[in-house]
Amino acid sequence: MTKRTVEIGAFGAMIIAFAVGLAVPPDAVQGDLQRIMYVHVPSAWLAYLAFGITMIGSVVYLATGNLRWDRLAGASAEVGVVFTGLALATGLIWGKPVWGVWWTWDARLVLTAAMFFVYLAYLALRRGVDGADRRAKRSAVFGIVAALQIPVVHFSVVWWRGLHQPPTVLRPDNPQIDPPLLFALLMAVFAFTLAYAALVRRRMALATAEDSLTDAPRPDEQVAGAAVSAPQIGGGRR
Amino acid sequence: MIHHVLVLIRSQLRNEARAGEVATIIIPFGAVALLVIPLAIGIDTDLLARIGPGLFWVVVLLFGVIVTHRQSASVDRPQRDMLTLLGVDPAARFAATTIASTLLLLVFELAVGAITIVLYDPDLTGWGWLAVILPLVAAGLAMIGTLAASLTSGLGGRSALAPLLVAPIAIPILLGAAQATEGLRVGAGILRWVLVLAVVDVLLMLAGVLTARPLEES
Repeated sequence: MTKRTVEIGAFGAMIIAFAVGLAVPPDAVQGDLQRIMYVHVPSAWLAYLAFGITMIGSVVYLATGNLRWDRLAGASAEVGVVFTGLALATGLIWGKPVWGVWWTWDARLVLTAAMFFVYLAYLALRRGVDGADRRAKRSAVFGIVAALQIPVVHFSVVWWRGLHQPPTVLRPDNPQIDPPLLFALLMAVFAFTLAYAALVRRRMALATAEDSLTDAPRPDEQVAGAAVSAPQIGGGRR
Repeated sequence: MIHHVLVLIRSQLRNEARAGEVATIIIPFGAVALLVIPLAIGIDTDLLARIGPGLFWVVVLLFGVIVTHRQSASVDRPQRDMLTLLGVDPAARFAATTIASTLLLLVFELAVGAITIVLYDPDLTGWGWLAVILPLVAAGLAMIGTLAASLTSGLGGRSALAPLLVAPIAIPILLGAAQATEGLRVGAGILRWVLVLAVVDVLLMLAGVLTARPLEES
């Protein structure tokens, strides 16, 4: 599948998901406010997916030394931070009318914000290290350590029994959501996931170009040994 | 390897004994933080007694970063290269720095804990559990701090970057410690929070030992 195909597919899926999200009936209790979930839930899912991919990229980079995996880890973290920010922002907008507050000290909210900062730190570390190999090794180590955070975030709702609602779709018993709303939600998840894939591929290509630009010698750069000239043997002026 | 670890721990503790950074700077700094907080939130003694243990853990987390950062500052690039040439395993260096930092953090926790008891008068029910909780927290913070110090070694903005790397990663440790002491206060079971601390420590230890060599080469 070419880069262009993924991007066109993501764009088309986003338009369809947007139309379906507007076309399905409003929620019986929350009304139109519930439509924010068509952005919030896919963004939250992508936050987990993106950081999981970052961990996989980090582990495989350390095992193989192939910089392509480091670029995957970095690109995924960058896109993941955007989607985590989107999940937090849409959660705030939804929380004010439904819970009555912008922010509450619920475990999952706090830890999602913590995860956001963990990956901001990951990106800060990447920016701070010069040299592709050096940067890749250090950020891979932090990518693995940071991934320790994700299971804690995921299970926090169970541990602390906070205000955030427990899983609605992925329940062991029946999903507690009407079929049309479920369809709109799944469509949004699919479209956002395609958008994530397209953005990560684009960012990886950009990272490859950045690395080749950084590693290439500049035209005016002095290389080691340039000042040494070959001795002239015979035929030279004495 | 055990011999290398012991020699490195001794050398790092000797450095601290000579410099006295934890005893003469970081502990007084933590004490000042505990002193100024009531000035900002009021002197309701019941409230202060209730929130005292939580404030203690926040101070341990934030100032613990400085303790680990100080300790790792003595093992900079030239020392690392020399130890590598001498055949010291990077995992041994990680273990030694972590153990030395854990000991210093324990001293810091005990000193700041005593100050918290004096200033906030918290309920000390079940305090015997602290013999387990304090070392687990110290070890977790020490491992995160040691990793962060290695990750930021030789970087321009390391003094700003290291706390940013440590603080959000240490949140599970803060939650485990704070929930455990709150459990002691209300008489609830705290075993699962102690288990959370232990699991986080084990995961960090594995990450630290397994990634010591790639970090050495970076």
